[in-house]
Amino acid sequence: MKNIKAKLVTAIAVLIFTAAVWCAVILMRGGSENVKITQDGKLLYTIDLSKAKDQKIEVEYKGRKNVIEIKDGRIHMLEADCPDHICVDTGWLENVPIVCLPNRLVIEFEESGNDAEVR
Amino acid sequence: MSTKRITQLGILTTIALIIFVVELRLPDLSFIPGMKLGLANIVTVYAVYRYTAKEAAMILFSRILLGSIFGGNMSALIYSLNGGIMCLLGMLALRKILDERRMWVSSVIGATLHNIGQTLAAIAVMRTTAVIAYLPFLLVAGCLAGAFTGLCAQSVAGRVKAR
Repeated sequence: MKNIKAKLVTAIAVLIFTAAVWCAVILMRGGSENVKITQDGKLLYTIDLSKAKDQKIEVEYKGRKNVIEIKDGRIHMLEADCPDHICVDTGWLENVPIVCLPNRLVIEFEESGNDAEVR
Repeated sequence: MSTKRITQLGILTTIALIIFVVELRLPDLSFIPGMKLGLANIVTVYAVYRYTAKEAAMILFSRILLGSIFGGNMSALIYSLNGGIMCLLGMLALRKILDERRMWVSSVIGATLHNIGQTLAAIAVMRTTAVIAYLPFLLVAGCLAGAFTGLCAQSVAGRVKAR
């Protein structure tokens, strides 16, 4: 029994450490110029932020609406008509993708690797 | 099931629900929007240790269902439900190994399983793996929140006589 407890505590310690390192990796991941917007697993737009002009993009999902804004080479969710507004609160796209769970919308940087080509 | 038992389960569900609704009104605690402490799980952890598996499941699922109705966010139900199921199964397995003085360890693992379950549901629903980027942050916060809720549950259990 003692053995199992010790193993569990070790497992938790390893887990926290791994998660912390993983956090650091994600936070250090630099943003690329290309942003992709997907909804329900389908690619809607691929945008080159360095070339895109300031604009607002409206995306609808089952009668609900998200408004994405591009300004000064940055992108964020301007409006969402879901109750939680988590995607709006996420702010400008930096490291972690902007996710709207209710409307199944994701804004993320395209990986610079060759495994992320979805077009 | 005796009337006394049903009343106890009802009261526990109500307490969990009140904590849940009050917590929804609190401002965001961290830099990840939408991240919560999950204080309602103080009741879940307590119920896992003091009630049968079926009773603990009844409390948890009533709270999740009513909580998402009261919170006005039914679309979040699938994520909470999947997280809740994984967390509950994990803690029910652990309660045999970890006694009441180790509730908090069980709670930490339960919180972790909750985060993994939530993320798996999100991957399945959203059909994208982009949401995994949130998992490590959820795990770190989940461990802290899990330890806190577990210690709270332990302190409650210390004040309530075992059956």
